[in-house]
Amino acid sequence: MDFKFGEKEEALRKEIREFAREELPPGWLAVMLEEESRDEDWAFAMSISKKLSERGWLTMSWPEEYGGRGSSLWEQLVYLEESGYWGIPGTMMGISGVAWVGPSLMMYGSEEQKEKHLPLIASGEPDGVWCTGYSEPNAGSDFANIQTRAVKEGDEYVINGQKTWTSAAHRSRWCWLAVVTDPNAPKKHQRISVFIVDMKSKGVTVNPLVNYAGYHIFNEVFFDDVRVPASNLVGEENRGWYQLMTSLAYERGSLGPAGYGYNKRILDELVRYAKENNLFQKHDIRCKLADMAIEVETQRMLASQTIWKMSKGDMPTYEPSRDKVFNDQVQERLAITGTEILGAYSQMDPLHRDSRWSKIRGCVESLYWLFPGISISAGTDEIEKNIIGQFGLELPRSY
Amino acid sequence: MDFDLSEDQKILQTSVREFLDKECPKDKVRELEEDEQGYDTEMWKKMAELEWMGVVFPEEYGGTEGDFIDLMILAEEMGRYILPSPFFSTVVLSSLPILKYGNGEQKEKFLPKIANGKEIWTLALMESSATYEASDVKLRATPEGEAYLLEGAKLFVPYAHVADHLLVVARTSEEEKPEDGITVFIVDLASSTGIEVEVIPTAAHDKQCEVRFDRVKVPRGNVLGDVGRGWDVVNFIIQKGVVLKCAEMLGGAQAVLEMTNDYAKERVQFERPIGSFQAIQHKLADMFTDVEGLRYLVYEAAWKINIGSPSDLLISMAKAKANEVYQRTCIGGIRIHGAIGFTREEDIGLYYLRTKAAEFALGDTGFHKERIATELERS
Repeated sequence: MDFKFGEKEEALRKEIREFAREELPPGWLAVMLEEESRDEDWAFAMSISKKLSERGWLTMSWPEEYGGRGSSLWEQLVYLEESGYWGIPGTMMGISGVAWVGPSLMMYGSEEQKEKHLPLIASGEPDGVWCTGYSEPNAGSDFANIQTRAVKEGDEYVINGQKTWTSAAHRSRWCWLAVVTDPNAPKKHQRISVFIVDMKSKGVTVNPLVNYAGYHIFNEVFFDDVRVPASNLVGEENRGWYQLMTSLAYERGSLGPAGYGYNKRILDELVRYAKENNLFQKHDIRCKLADMAIEVETQRMLASQTIWKMSKGDMPTYEPSRDKVFNDQVQERLAITGTEILGAYSQMDPLHRDSRWSKIRGCVESLYWLFPGISISAGTDEIEKNIIGQFGLELPRSY
Repeated sequence: MDFDLSEDQKILQTSVREFLDKECPKDKVRELEEDEQGYDTEMWKKMAELEWMGVVFPEEYGGTEGDFIDLMILAEEMGRYILPSPFFSTVVLSSLPILKYGNGEQKEKFLPKIANGKEIWTLALMESSATYEASDVKLRATPEGEAYLLEGAKLFVPYAHVADHLLVVARTSEEEKPEDGITVFIVDLASSTGIEVEVIPTAAHDKQCEVRFDRVKVPRGNVLGDVGRGWDVVNFIIQKGVVLKCAEMLGGAQAVLEMTNDYAKERVQFERPIGSFQAIQHKLADMFTDVEGLRYLVYEAAWKINIGSPSDLLISMAKAKANEVYQRTCIGGIRIHGAIGFTREEDIGLYYLRTKAAEFALGDTGFHKERIATELERS
């Protein structure tokens, strides 16, 4: 039993803190997913991506031959915690490339795909930005129910269909796209394949979907007779479902440390706000801050335990789902309790969070407006709890 | 970072589990609830032979020089089996402060007898206010010649009815700050007169007592630590004791989770195991995450103590969380069991009946949240 970081990790932590101090405007506080919405924010995020790439941090855990530096999972955890804490933008390159397209390509991609795309993602350039096309109007939690079709014609596949809630599609050069390749397969899960689709292809249309808070984060994407080279098929035809389940674990696995970092920052800002405004005199606020502190520290330990398991070479099963649900719960608590602490100042428009009435730069109410949506992305808590039941507790399948 | 126990620690854990599995089945727990002594003297002897009592003592006092993690492993397993025994009161609440604050003579005299299982000890701290605030320590100790006279009463003192010695927290002087003027006394029950012990009828029949002191004479040599500095001793006991109480509660919550999960897989309704229903799965998933979160918080707090840099923030976080998780796990577990969970025959109720004793031992949720807030304010 040993819960301290090594010297290498601590040195990296210091380096990232210095980077954040040097590269981010004074008093910088980020709001999750905000960077994809406005053009100027996106441009800033991409400029930071480039700098992260130059430092070798953007894809640090990848092997050197693909543009990484072969860092340990512990170094990556520190990087994710710190980038979450300081709100370093551009760490995700859209929302998919760094977190799971890259790792999936390393597992299932062809040599050609790896050689082309991994260095592009690692470069921090706009051509390395990806979106992910999973959800459809009739395939949300029941993801295997997708209808978008890819039909083989000679050396190409022709794709027709619609994706929705596609985050960052309007910023992406590439789409990591799940489609049906064998509509006659006996099981829904055995008919799915994954393709790499150039978003500049003829027949791809991106329509914005603006959320209730005014952010343009996700989109509808239409595919009309989009022609894709057969060499863009990832892994085996009709094995897409099984490949995606593995890569989803990656998506959720990176969520714990980054979520912890972000949540710890919100907590620290609330503590500071409470001190500055003499709120520690109030018993109920003392209790609320204590409650949040307990949950944030618990999140840190749970997220670290997942990384510890992976660092031993074990495949995480239910842990990423656990960490995802826990992150959602912590954020819900921070959002609700945090807005209670700010009182009437928490009703500000997140698009005007630089206004003089916004406290803590509007971060707390932005979290409040966004957390219900964040908790739905990458698998609802209900679906995640099914996974915990099935893989963590070995309960019989519920559906 | 390493979340695992060492090989030696795993061996200890397995051996404790095997012993308690054999010696402390739930029928034994039920039997001991009805027993006047409230523990099994034969089992106690065997525990001493296994060197559990002196696990953290130096060899010269009959110990095996283990560390705090070893003690935590013992506490967690005892909690898992809800072992009725004066282990916590003797080893955790009494021997640790003697080890830390006792003078050479006291250590030599008392520790070997604790290590070999000959003596049972306990701590008399709480009074009628039922809190852990220094201002509520009112039992008076008045100097008289070469002795002090103790006058007052203590509440919820575990296993006082079978104890050989008590550590009594008393007020020796009235000072400006309530933390000052408190002194801890070692009281020999057999040689003292004026002490009355009455077992309080608690739900778990876990032998907590009211102890009344009527001009009880205690020699000056029996002061533990310094006169007037007793609150330091109390804080030390709370610091170490809280984490070990949390470990006990963690073991209990883990056991309840496991028995409930097993039940959900076996129990069939609507032609399916109830564990296949999402309503049940989601409840179990929440319980599981609760218990895992508690586990790592407790381990982290224990590890900090073990490396010599205890964190009051982490310790209070662990207890506030343990209080809520143990209770929630038991209530959720009983719900999933349905009516059978409401019976004396089913084990889960035995755990539920112990939640309140654990919750209010060494600080309730409000007490620890207040401490957390103080640390946050200071940060």
